[in-house]
Amino acid sequence: MAPSRSSQTRLAEGLARQGQIDPAVDACFQGLRLDERDVLAHCLLAELMLAGDFYDEAIAEATLAIEFDPDCAPAYLALGLAYDRRGGMWDQAVLVWHELAEVVPDLVTAHVQLGEAFWAAAFEEEAVEAWRAALALDPKEPRATYNLAVAALEREGMATALPQFRKAGELDPSQDELFFALAGDGDGVALARGGDLFGALDSARAVLDERPDEASALALASYAYLKQEGTNEATALALRALECEPGVPGALYCLGVAYSRRPGLDRHAARVFRALTKAAPRHPMPHVLLAESLLGLQRFDVARSAYRTAVRLDPACVRARFGLAAVLLTEGRHAEASWEVRRAAYHDTRRQGLFWKLFDAYAEGVEDA
Amino acid sequence: MSDAVARLYQAFVSQDPAGAIAVVEEAKGAGAQRGALFDDLYAPSLAMLGGAWASRALDEVAFAQASVVAEQIGPFVVPPAAAPDTGITIVVGCAASDRHDIRKNVIAAALKEAGHRVVDLGADARPTEFVEKVAQTGARIAIVCAELTGTVASVRRVRELLAADGRDDVVVLAAGGPFDADGKIARELGANGVVLGAESALRLVARIASDLFAPRPDEDA
Amino acid sequence: MSEPRPVFPVGVAYHAIDDERRSWSDWYDRDADADFASLAEHRISLARVFVSWHCLEPQVGQYDEDAAERLDRVVAAAGAHGIRLIVTFFADDRVAELMDVAWGKRRDPRTDDYLIGRESALVQRIVNRYRADDTIFAWDLGNEAFLSGFTSAEDLDRWAGAMRDAVREVDPDRPIMLSADPETLFRSSRVDATHALDRFELGASHVTSAYVAFAAEGPVTSGPATYIDGYLLRCASRGLPVLMDEVGAVSLDASVGEEAAAVRTSMWSGLMNGAAGVVLRRWRDMETERREPYFRDPFEFPVGVVDTNGSPKPVLAEVRRFARVALALDRRRYEPAAEDVAVLLPAERYHALPSMAGLYGPRSCLQSYIRAKEAHLPVTLVREGEEIGRLAALIVPSVAELEPGTWEALAAWVQDGGSLVMSYGGGDPPAEVRGLFGIEFLGDHGRRETFACRVAQSDLLPGLVPFDCALPLQHHALLGQAGATVVATDATGSPLVTLQRHGQGRAVFVAAPIERALAQGDPWAAPDAAASFVRTVYASVADACGAAGSVRCDRPGVEVAHFLGEADDILLLLNHSPEKTVATLSFDRAVASVADVRGGAAAPVEGGAFGVPLGANGVAALRVNFA
Repeated sequence: MAPSRSSQTRLAEGLARQGQIDPAVDACFQGLRLDERDVLAHCLLAELMLAGDFYDEAIAEATLAIEFDPDCAPAYLALGLAYDRRGGMWDQAVLVWHELAEVVPDLVTAHVQLGEAFWAAAFEEEAVEAWRAALALDPKEPRATYNLAVAALEREGMATALPQFRKAGELDPSQDELFFALAGDGDGVALARGGDLFGALDSARAVLDERPDEASALALASYAYLKQEGTNEATALALRALECEPGVPGALYCLGVAYSRRPGLDRHAARVFRALTKAAPRHPMPHVLLAESLLGLQRFDVARSAYRTAVRLDPACVRARFGLAAVLLTEGRHAEASWEVRRAAYHDTRRQGLFWKLFDAYAEGVEDA
Repeated sequence: MSDAVARLYQAFVSQDPAGAIAVVEEAKGAGAQRGALFDDLYAPSLAMLGGAWASRALDEVAFAQASVVAEQIGPFVVPPAAAPDTGITIVVGCAASDRHDIRKNVIAAALKEAGHRVVDLGADARPTEFVEKVAQTGARIAIVCAELTGTVASVRRVRELLAADGRDDVVVLAAGGPFDADGKIARELGANGVVLGAESALRLVARIASDLFAPRPDEDA
Repeated sequence: MSEPRPVFPVGVAYHAIDDERRSWSDWYDRDADADFASLAEHRISLARVFVSWHCLEPQVGQYDEDAAERLDRVVAAAGAHGIRLIVTFFADDRVAELMDVAWGKRRDPRTDDYLIGRESALVQRIVNRYRADDTIFAWDLGNEAFLSGFTSAEDLDRWAGAMRDAVREVDPDRPIMLSADPETLFRSSRVDATHALDRFELGASHVTSAYVAFAAEGPVTSGPATYIDGYLLRCASRGLPVLMDEVGAVSLDASVGEEAAAVRTSMWSGLMNGAAGVVLRRWRDMETERREPYFRDPFEFPVGVVDTNGSPKPVLAEVRRFARVALALDRRRYEPAAEDVAVLLPAERYHALPSMAGLYGPRSCLQSYIRAKEAHLPVTLVREGEEIGRLAALIVPSVAELEPGTWEALAAWVQDGGSLVMSYGGGDPPAEVRGLFGIEFLGDHGRRETFACRVAQSDLLPGLVPFDCALPLQHHALLGQAGATVVATDATGSPLVTLQRHGQGRAVFVAAPIERALAQGDPWAAPDAAASFVRTVYASVADACGAAGSVRCDRPGVEVAHFLGEADDILLLLNHSPEKTVATLSFDRAVASVADVRGGAAAPVEGGAFGVPLGANGVAALRVNFA
């Protein structure tokens, strides 16, 4: 059934995209007074209710939209997210994510969420399968990797899980963002941010030709080598930078990451990252990196504090949430661990803004009312 | 040590792994601890390498080649990743009829990573299995995990069977939700203590380890 | 129920069937003596039992005497062990088909006149049978699972009135209750039960899984989840004694330890917030068929305080410890400190969509209540339209619209010396705002992503500090001054907090819906600066009008309840966090010594302040002697 887009729905859509929830809701209701089967209006209402965390209302609206059009992908998305965020409705969530994965097979999030719904319902094998399916679609999907790490923790302990956390973390752009936040502005940093590591190295080299003891240039060079898997080179340059200027944050970052790649150097990594948390106290990532080093040392209590600090600084830090979940599991606090995973999903899915992508694709067949 | 640092750096630059190893062996022979080898010898020589690259004393190729040698020397100076064997054997398992094994898995893995010898009986382990394994392995510590109030009685049974076997010296620890909620339950069942999670297990075992060879370990661990 | 009972009763719901594989005809078909003995041993003095209309009236007008004798045996067993009973007539427990009379022909027992007539007859029969038996504590007309089937307040009113009249014809004295929590029932069915509830002598409050999912979804041992019981209790308290009902796990996710901690928190919240008693959700775990782990009916609660074999779970030890403390709090000798601060529950929260007020309002009020508790204010709740004359301070959180009469009442009350704190809730405020708050409303700046505060006058609301924090605000009122003093501004200098004096009274306006922002953000991760801002504003206003209470505590997460006696006072403390802490208490008066109410030597106090160590979600009950 091809959806039609009334002028009220267009108005509601415009208001919703601007984040004006109350007038958007009002506009949707006005549209529904004209046509109570307006799928797009129900869809928008579901998303608006979801945005306000009113899950029962979101479920009701999304259900209506699906009743009127069983192919309405954005409604499935809203419905699945509402079930997941509300909690306790895993059976329904599994059905919805299955359906969405069929309707939009390359939607990675559907597989990740399906996995999490299976996991919450104690269907572990199915969960792992779903996360692997997500990684097959996008090998850099962080939440699938973090979930697999937590699953590994529950079966085999932290020694198996920690490398997976670190691997996912290095693929996670937020870790690189830490370095750029520490390194400040500069041509070389801009080149590195744009992915031109050779250019960044050349830029650092140009500075070092004039001032061989310039710590920030050494740190930038260290970063470039780090990203190209030159861990020893990165270590050498970071150590030299810290000899020239103790405590330079960029070098601390590079040295800590280099150490964390090497089994046996968790103690050293922890020392470096602790210094980094003092150098950049308002950034969550140093606390996450410190926590991971502490996990390697089996200092779970202190790791928990570091993760909680990271979450306090940035509640949307997915890596911190999953790390905190892992630590809570080591303490037998399953319900709290499960909550952290759910909050990670909450923030991650909100950030992704998937609803509008699906909505736009769905509404492409629209005729103006 | 500063002379050794310079020589190690030279060995890196000269692409002489054997020479580098000799420097490390010499430092060890002079009494340097493993931790100090990395901090006081290896790291400063890497820093010299970095400085040489920065000042163009080394070009890119030489820098890369020197780094390869440094990588080869790593195992000689990096502290070992695996903890050394402590010689302490611990029998871990879930109580009979209890299949909630996550906590048990996490505790067992943490103890293994800390160098202890862990015998994992898995889920739904009968009390007699604990006793048999203790007898077979000479374990002095048993950890019984029970997440349901209906399965906690296994702890008492394990204690009774060990006592009947003349093994009052085995330390029985309880782990699981019911014990988190009320520590008295463990005491009433005859356990010596409660393991709350992985770190708690490590701490408790470390404490017990110092008493392991005493004639009669402390009952209230 | 005019005088408080000296002992705080702890009760439990004693269900008819504890195994879902059994049939409706197995209703109380067991010897209850051992169970009631166990209840008594654990200091449980109250039990709820459930009538089965299905069993008692198998044919219309024909009553099964065997079934009636089963109920007799249950009542006798309870009486033999000193347990008093709440008899619930019409309940849906999802297992025992209590209401499914075969001859009812699928008519709705809530609205069908014929069935209502039969229900009245059943009620009178049972009441008559036991009216002289002291074992019966109260008559309960129905549980929320049944009552949530009503679709209009009028129908509920009519039905409740008919049942009440039926009871009163036979038993003029015994209390009658309707086990509907007005907030949760409204949330689930949009039926406002307050008018119906006004007829009864005893009220009920309880947390439901749906309400938790709406207002406090998260870990049960921290954050809003630990305040929701007390909040709903106060919502239900409108001059009635209220039983905090159905205390227990609402989900199956929590561990045994978490469940015990959550029940401990609920029970103590009840005692500390004026409940008339506490009733636990279920005595015995229900034996269930093997089912998909996530298939759960929202009104089905299979988790009890003893397992399927009758063995006590850790939560029962909590109950026992709690009952011992409750015993020490003789309510003839101690009364709660005056609660002169209130959070207003606005009428707009009853508005249906498309008004969002009905969705935002309850959450904002809960947040406001939590912050007031964290500020250790003796806070209660008051509905819009109720009398506010007795209050010293009133908080109106993030409200968009008040009734016209409310503005008049507020103005008069402030003029008489009341202190008002109101935060902007969006929309165009009425003209009364200018007179009351001394501000000119220039428009709504709209959404902001950060919340900033710069302090202009540091002595007017002491404790305010400048900050910036990431907290999305849906609205921000742009204000011009019309007589008010600007206490704080945002980062651009636009007034954020204003203060207008009216004689002894004061009116404080906050230009952003801060309580709503905290509720709509991540309530488990409220930015410290924003939460502290709200606490400081509330506390300063309450302090200035002498309503802040006489106990100070340095830990926001520790709730303190103060009971005043002649010779000594009692303090109850509840740690709302799963991390242990030490709370330092200080008083306006000099303290001589402190002792645990359960016994033990009194510890002398020097300097007037003392520390109380509290475990994770820990509690303490102290007897305080003053110098």
